[in-house]
Amino acid sequence: MSILISKNTQVLVQGITGKEGAKGAKAMLDYGTNVVCGVTPKKGGQEVEGKPVFNSISEALSVIASEAKQSPRQEHNGEIAASPTAPRNDTWVSVVYVPPFAAKAAILEAIENNIALINVFVERIPIKDTAYCLAAAKEKNIRILGPSSLGVVVPGVARLGVMGGPLINEIFKPGSIGVISRSGGMSNEMSWQLSKNGLGQSATVHVGGDLLMGTTYADVLRLFQSDEQTKAVVIFGEHGGSYEFEIVELIKNKGFTKPLAIFIGGKFAQLLPEGMNIGHAGAIVARGQGAAEKEKALSEVGVMVAEKYEDLVQLVKPYA
Amino acid sequence: MNLYEFEGKNLFAKHGIAIPKGVVVRRGDDVKFKIKDLRFKDFVVKAQVLSGKRGKNNGIRFCSSVDEVVKACEELFAMNIRGQYVSALLIEEKLDIAEEHYVSITYDTNKKQPVLIYSRQGGMDIEDVPEKKIEKVWVDVRQDSPVVILSAAKNLVGEPDPSGASLPQDDIKEKLWKVFQAEDTRLVEINPLVKTASGEWVAADAKVAIDDDAFFRHPSTGSGPTVTDWTTFEPRTMMGRLPTEREVAVKKIDEGEKYYQGTAGKYIELDGDIGMILNGGGASIANMDALMKVGLKPANYTEYSGNPPREKVYQLAKIVLSKPGLKGLWMAGVVANFTNIKETFLGIIDALDEMKPTYPIVVRRDGPESKEAFELLTACAQRNNLNIKMFTKDTSMSETAKILAGMVI
Repeated sequence: MSILISKNTQVLVQGITGKEGAKGAKAMLDYGTNVVCGVTPKKGGQEVEGKPVFNSISEALSVIASEAKQSPRQEHNGEIAASPTAPRNDTWVSVVYVPPFAAKAAILEAIENNIALINVFVERIPIKDTAYCLAAAKEKNIRILGPSSLGVVVPGVARLGVMGGPLINEIFKPGSIGVISRSGGMSNEMSWQLSKNGLGQSATVHVGGDLLMGTTYADVLRLFQSDEQTKAVVIFGEHGGSYEFEIVELIKNKGFTKPLAIFIGGKFAQLLPEGMNIGHAGAIVARGQGAAEKEKALSEVGVMVAEKYEDLVQLVKPYA
Repeated sequence: MNLYEFEGKNLFAKHGIAIPKGVVVRRGDDVKFKIKDLRFKDFVVKAQVLSGKRGKNNGIRFCSSVDEVVKACEELFAMNIRGQYVSALLIEEKLDIAEEHYVSITYDTNKKQPVLIYSRQGGMDIEDVPEKKIEKVWVDVRQDSPVVILSAAKNLVGEPDPSGASLPQDDIKEKLWKVFQAEDTRLVEINPLVKTASGEWVAADAKVAIDDDAFFRHPSTGSGPTVTDWTTFEPRTMMGRLPTEREVAVKKIDEGEKYYQGTAGKYIELDGDIGMILNGGGASIANMDALMKVGLKPANYTEYSGNPPREKVYQLAKIVLSKPGLKGLWMAGVVANFTNIKETFLGIIDALDEMKPTYPIVVRRDGPESKEAFELLTACAQRNNLNIKMFTKDTSMSETAKILAGMVI
């Protein structure tokens, strides 16, 4: 069992012809993820990492679907409009690697084509564009992971995005610990600390550091709750933002009952003036939402709070 | 970025929200000359700072003569307000206030949509207004006008206005929504929204935070009636002083042509003496904590992330190293996912070759092409005789903070 992705997931890469997109496609293919194709407007017909590039998602989906029916490959010129009654493409995932100014159009295109999971790698998307896409996705019950998300690794199964980089086999090991982080770097680092101490991961999910998140800690905890492989979860949290308080509510409502250990970074931020923005965009220091307040609220519902992030490993070890 | 009140009011005026008549006065300006054309009976002089609670902290003065205004200006320029540097003063006509209301729009991270907050009890902290006296309306960001939604009672929380939905302040809400949308803001707040004795609605204050990530939609070229040029906003910091040269210089790095290739633009100058070059928004804040835990004091907060090119890292590192009085340098980063360690280290090496620091340096990093990166850094250390210790993923970041503490005299 795995969360978010499986061996059957079909991945398309939006912006595959760009530098980061091509790197992302290669990273996924290297780990055995089923990358099917890429999409870049006006670059249809090219190939990247041996995968075909299409002008639009609708073109990609219809060509792939017709190939699956073993009909001969057809030439497609221009865009094919998505049918409003198009079925949800539940096995499809889009990974979005485009510049920030092109992100909104790319994400909306994936939503229009009913791609069930959209992993937005793009950093520094204007918040208005993010809110727009999240509203459009919600209407269709489509999950966005990100923005600013390096993706997901399900060790031994597949990865979305570039997490783990070339060292993925050294850093990630299959196991029973779920990992969630706002920070891409810490997703990797925490997985490494776990593996180094003999604890494998059921999945590592980078939810991204923006103020508005398509998928929150609580959303991922719900997935880990119903995942039999997951025995305990570690979270790298941050000062600022209110997402840690959603965890408190979730636990109070018995929506998550497995052991959970968390580290909240950014105590030094209390030395800075209120309202100052450091770290991730989401981490605006706000009254009543600092690292100390979060730790208190979380420990009151039984979450294990780590002093140093390295301590997270020891806290979950007994449950692995 | 937070705007000063006068900048926020300019945005309000652009979208048709009435603001009081007034002028902005800078340090060294001849105040009497600046206000010679203002025929006001009574004046209000307001310190321009980047955070709230100005009134309670004596940052707003009411005056009835030009001499009083001059004196108030002198006093306000000599103050820091809640640690905030007074960058300018706004001298306005004192309003004849009949009612004070509150209205704001910001993003609700829970619902992931903008929320319009309105109360007939303005002029005080909205946190101090009883919950049932506050109206909250969640607006779909895809809507052009919030007023349609305002009438939908299901979205209303608290007490709706007793006199019905279509009130003059609804017009203000709609205009404020236009400011929120068109100006790419994260927060717009009018507190108080004043109804004057003669029945006009005026924004007596303005709190606006713009979304820095939307800067490409607000360029210096092509600015016109619809686009506000953000490049004209003066540099600022919330650290209670003018931004330092180094802070201003770092901000420029990410505004170049390659702005979307990685991020190098975080540099906040602090009081300590350990130069910090950190990586990633999450690890960097955890490492600030880790450094202070071993008794060292950071000279700055700096992080780069997202695979920036060599040139960006070089500029950033050079600026960090150029702060006088450093006693050590800590470059701590995670096992990178996709940031190319060789490419980014080349930028650091360029800076080290140029600056040749003599204080202790500790580096902890790993990730793509890190082997080549450390070979290059070792060669750089040898040719510059650097006092440097280097670590990869086998040593945790916090451990290397301890090691640096042992090296720093």
